[in-house]
Amino acid sequence: MKSEIRNEKEILLKLDDVHVHYGGVHALDGASVAIDEGEIVALMGPNGAGKSTVLKAIFGIAPVHSGEVLWHEKRFKPVPHEVVARGIAFVPQGRRVFKYLTVEENLEIGGFIVGDKKELARRMAEVMETFPALKAKRRTKSGTLSGGQQQMLAIARGLMVDPKVLLLDEPSLGLAPKIVKEVFENIKEINERHGTAIVVVEHNIKSILGIVDRAYVLAKGKVAAQGKPEELLSSGVLEKIFLGEK
Amino acid sequence: MRLMKTSESYIFPYVDIVPQLIANSVIAGAIYALIALGFNLIYGTTKFFNLAHGAVAACGAYTVFAILKIFALPVNVVVTCVIGAVVAGSIGYGLDKFVYLPLRKRKASNMVLMVASLGAFTAIQAVIAILFTSQFQALESSGGVSGSVEVYGAIITHTQVVIIACGLAIMAVLGLVAKYTLFGKAVSAIKDDEEVARMVGIDTNKIIGRVFFIGSAIAGVAGILIGFDTGIEPTMGMNLLLKGTIASIIGGVGSLYGGFLGAFVLGFAENFGIWKISGEWKDAIAFVVLIIFLLIRPEGIVKK
Ligand SMILES: Nc1ncnc2c1ncn2[C@@H]1O[C@H](COP(=O)(O)OP(=O)(O)OP(=O)(O)O)[C@@H](O)[C@H]1O
Ligand SMILES: [Mg+2]
Repeated sequence: MKSEIRNEKEILLKLDDVHVHYGGVHALDGASVAIDEGEIVALMGPNGAGKSTVLKAIFGIAPVHSGEVLWHEKRFKPVPHEVVARGIAFVPQGRRVFKYLTVEENLEIGGFIVGDKKELARRMAEVMETFPALKAKRRTKSGTLSGGQQQMLAIARGLMVDPKVLLLDEPSLGLAPKIVKEVFENIKEINERHGTAIVVVEHNIKSILGIVDRAYVLAKGKVAAQGKPEELLSSGVLEKIFLGEK
Repeated sequence: MRLMKTSESYIFPYVDIVPQLIANSVIAGAIYALIALGFNLIYGTTKFFNLAHGAVAACGAYTVFAILKIFALPVNVVVTCVIGAVVAGSIGYGLDKFVYLPLRKRKASNMVLMVASLGAFTAIQAVIAILFTSQFQALESSGGVSGSVEVYGAIITHTQVVIIACGLAIMAVLGLVAKYTLFGKAVSAIKDDEEVARMVGIDTNKIIGRVFFIGSAIAGVAGILIGFDTGIEPTMGMNLLLKGTIASIIGGVGSLYGGFLGAFVLGFAENFGIWKISGEWKDAIAFVVLIIFLLIRPEGIVKK
């Protein structure tokens, strides 16, 4: 069921007025975020703004107090393995590859829900093509990979389910600028090749605005601003939120 | 487990007793390994000490006792043992599903889970005592495994041969499953980072449930084998639990091979430790070994 080009894009994934409470901490305080098919959306904002929590709410691993998560305009109660089965993949903050498993085994685990062996092999070959560095290290324990390679593996692991939406939490964190550039190129390539919608949480404002279609700026659990990158850059809202916060 | 009496060690020449000590060490090691393997599997995925594990082992033994002795059913011994293992596995699975999983979902700490498992241990032990009395009972089979073999002067009963064989075979199978199956890799992923394992689409609670079944079934096998070897009583689980726990701590808690190694280290330490002293010192020796490890190598033999 490959979807043909639609006249109007359907809203693929939506968070509607979501509140997340960790005890007394309101990590999300009525956040609404929408992702269309095939677009790259950035989630920006200072530390503790609630960026990771947005992704976790989509996955049902944050304590959602109220609000709704919608997939193809239909509300659902997120349970992680079911969310993955719908075609949403999560690449968590801090890389978190399975360090005692090899690169190949990490990818197998990434495709855990796929079931069919042949299909799994096909996807693994495809993913390795996107990340040739991983192919060379396929039998290496992933704990011994470099930070950049681990980040690529974490992304590759997410791609094993052929996702319609890929959620990336700070993929550039702790990586050298050259590697960050490489990772962003990979992200752009995945989006163009497979039409995968991508939500990327990013601190690195300047480098990310070049590749995204739209961006949300979060502050204190709310969406403080949103729009196209040029609009956000020229409006001065970014400076206000990032610098004014300190 | 047959002990060599202190006096005998003076009567028999040096060369005669060593093979028997080695045999006794290997037998004890195999039993501890069976307990430690299941214990470590469960600890690895859930990160809490499932103290009920010992009582689950006793359930396996009492199931076999009920079938062979109480109802005297005309069932093959091997089939009976398989039933015993399945019953033990199901009890472990049930504990997870109805006690530990609801607690985990409420984000209970590992301490709370451990206390709950202690409660389960006590309850299971009490139920066994109510159903079967607190008496010590024999569980010898009505045929099949009896008699003994001699290896380099060491006397090993057929039951003990089965114990050693089961210990090695189950370890080998678990090793293969861990390395070559998707289930094994999923278990490894959960051990390493349960949250991410869930994020990539593994229904971790389902896998953990299966781990409880497998680990508890192996404990059941240990309980059954020790029942055939020395007999059963409702409190038998405590000793098994202690030795299994010590074995996994000195081997490297949560590690498959670590628990296996630790079990044999413990078996050898205990049996060679009582070479010149009374067999009553065994438990004390086990704890001395534990304390030595906690002091000098708390992460165990197999470091991650
Ligand atoms: N498990 C948790 N328990 C308690 N509080 C939490 C938990 N996770 C997040 N929080 C709190 O929720 C708020 C939002 O956290 P979140 O991780 O979403 O921020 P973020 O925007 O991703 O920040 P960063 O850039 O540092 O990753 C923070 O105040 C944080 O302390
Ligand atoms: Mg974050």
